[in-house]
Amino acid sequence: MRRFLIRVRAMAYKEALHIRRDPLTLYIGLVLPLIMLLLFGFGVSFDIDHIPLAVVDDDRSPESRALVDAFTAAHEFERKGSLDDADAAGDVFASGRAAAVLEIPEGYARALARGETAEVGLLLDAADASSTTAALVRADAMSRLATARVVASAVPGMSASGGLPVSAATWTRFNPAGRSALFLVPGVTAYVLALVAVLLTALAVAREWERGSMEQLFATPVGRLDIVVGKLLPYLAMGAVQVLLVLTAGAWVFGLPLRGNLLVLAIAAILFMLGMLGQGLLISVVTRNQMVATQASTLSSMLPSMLLSGFMFPIANMPWPLRALSHIVPARYFIAVLRGVLLKGNGWTELWPDLVALLAFAAFMVAVSTARFQRKLA
Amino acid sequence: MTPDHAIEVDALSRRFGAFTAVDAVSFDVGRGEIFGYLGANGAGKSTTIRMLCGLLAPTSGDAVVAGARVSTSPEAVKRNIGYMSQRFSLYPELKVRENLEFFGGAYGLFGRHLNTRIAETLDRVGLHGHAEDRTSSLPGGMRQRVALAGAILHEPGIVFLDEPTAGVDPVARRRFWSLIRELASAGTTIFVTTHYMDEAEYCARVGLMVAGRLPALDTPEGLKATYVPGDLFVLRGPGAHADDARARLLAVPGVVDVATMGAGLRARCAADAHVRGDALAAALPAEVEVEPDTASLEDVFLAVVDAEAQARGAARAFGEGD
Repeated sequence: MRRFLIRVRAMAYKEALHIRRDPLTLYIGLVLPLIMLLLFGFGVSFDIDHIPLAVVDDDRSPESRALVDAFTAAHEFERKGSLDDADAAGDVFASGRAAAVLEIPEGYARALARGETAEVGLLLDAADASSTTAALVRADAMSRLATARVVASAVPGMSASGGLPVSAATWTRFNPAGRSALFLVPGVTAYVLALVAVLLTALAVAREWERGSMEQLFATPVGRLDIVVGKLLPYLAMGAVQVLLVLTAGAWVFGLPLRGNLLVLAIAAILFMLGMLGQGLLISVVTRNQMVATQASTLSSMLPSMLLSGFMFPIANMPWPLRALSHIVPARYFIAVLRGVLLKGNGWTELWPDLVALLAFAAFMVAVSTARFQRKLA
Repeated sequence: MTPDHAIEVDALSRRFGAFTAVDAVSFDVGRGEIFGYLGANGAGKSTTIRMLCGLLAPTSGDAVVAGARVSTSPEAVKRNIGYMSQRFSLYPELKVRENLEFFGGAYGLFGRHLNTRIAETLDRVGLHGHAEDRTSSLPGGMRQRVALAGAILHEPGIVFLDEPTAGVDPVARRRFWSLIRELASAGTTIFVTTHYMDEAEYCARVGLMVAGRLPALDTPEGLKATYVPGDLFVLRGPGAHADDARARLLAVPGVVDVATMGAGLRARCAADAHVRGDALAAALPAEVEVEPDTASLEDVFLAVVDAEAQARGAARAFGEGD
């Protein structure tokens, strides 16, 4: 046992020196996560902001101007000009001068005055499908709000908030500003951690095979468990630094809150990383080659963590085969914990199933990679 | 196992699929002996050494190394040996001291004892004062001595060196071999593979591997007497350049073999024929300078490969590819 500890310590210390001396490892480990966080946080946004809007106002009444104001007041839409005819919409879209056209027909004010629902047209450039959907939801909410307000002023005694659609209310539940950065940062954290953990361990072990130092290592009394534990420990420590770094940056740059149980989050992070490190180890044990290991690790960690984890696309909206597949993607559970703890204020009661899933994945990966780690050479 | 044998090998074999890399090899190595293992690339040297180090399980046969069976207790073997692999596998981005600390730790050394051993070993291999050097910054010869230091840090009874001098300049090679001799005279058994024939002369005994088998094993002198018997002469000058020089020499009674050597010819004569140098000179049409020569292990190697090829009908010396 004492010899085991001496050997593990020697392995872990050596590995830590590698990390410290290798600029690429440091870059992948500490700089890349921050860059990805900023890229995703700022670049990938489902927020609808400043959609260029052209207006066709055939009514030319105070009410129609009020509706245009309501659309542009919250900065979701930005008025870029007026059109005489809605038929010109295609040209405006094609030239990129506007992505939305609001058409208010003649008789809008009169319809409101009669207490009827007035119809307005909203033409959207659907080239970007996801922001189109988001814009529609917004526009719907606002037109109802605006119409209600106008109706309220015309018909005394009616509540102004009566027309608010339910969809707008749910959207803002744990994320009052409706900011997708808050929704995305937990996802980015899991994604980046998965990628970096798998990639770094895969590289670290494959490198030893390629250099032939693995053979030298096998000729010593160092056992495979010594190697696995000695390799995982320093990267686990590095992963902990990454989590802190990314979450701190998330809080600082994007105002990410922390509402729930931090201990649950820490345990989930450690289990998640163990699983990803184990996956990297397994890849390098099987491939024994840095090139192949790099490709296998990026593919096997990046794609599921991005597409099947709920990071980008809600799991509930997936077709059932993908939904079933997402159950074996550990990022799914880690993202659930991150969102739960950070945004919803969850703790043990809500998140223990996710922790169990993460534990199972970590145990499986470390066990399989240790078992596959043949200390014989042929 | 007898107490004076550090290594006992009994019909050790290793097959990779249909290919037999090592074919029923048997030999013993005495304590404190420098045992050289020679052969062409792919003859099975590395496969043998890997089996003896517990890195590769034998397909059949067995070996007892430092008192432990490689087939059943490879871990016990590993504890008691030092191994320096073909590409001396140090970590280039680590300092010399850090590399040694790591290998020391791998063998369970730690604390003050480890530090003392590192200092002693660095002194011994002549690298005193280089502990803080980045390993990648050292020249090949020095790196090779660091690797040796890593293999002897835990004071093993047997050290296995797999082509330790590959890619190292002649001066460094000589220096390395004087280190090896010092180690052996202090009682460490050395098992070394090489394909440099001149290095094999430093070994107490030499085994010659050809296509997975070990047809020849003896002291260098014994091998020469067995495989290159008789007297050797080197002939240089215009006479040796004649088109039919070879045929003329072979016609001299007692001449067994004639081969080109540099700008001249080299003739081997049967020992009991007592051929004289002037008899050879007289057989040639022009003037020639004749000098007696001694056999080298290269002659032995070629003779053994030849004999093996004849025994098998065809020379097949390609191997597992190392």
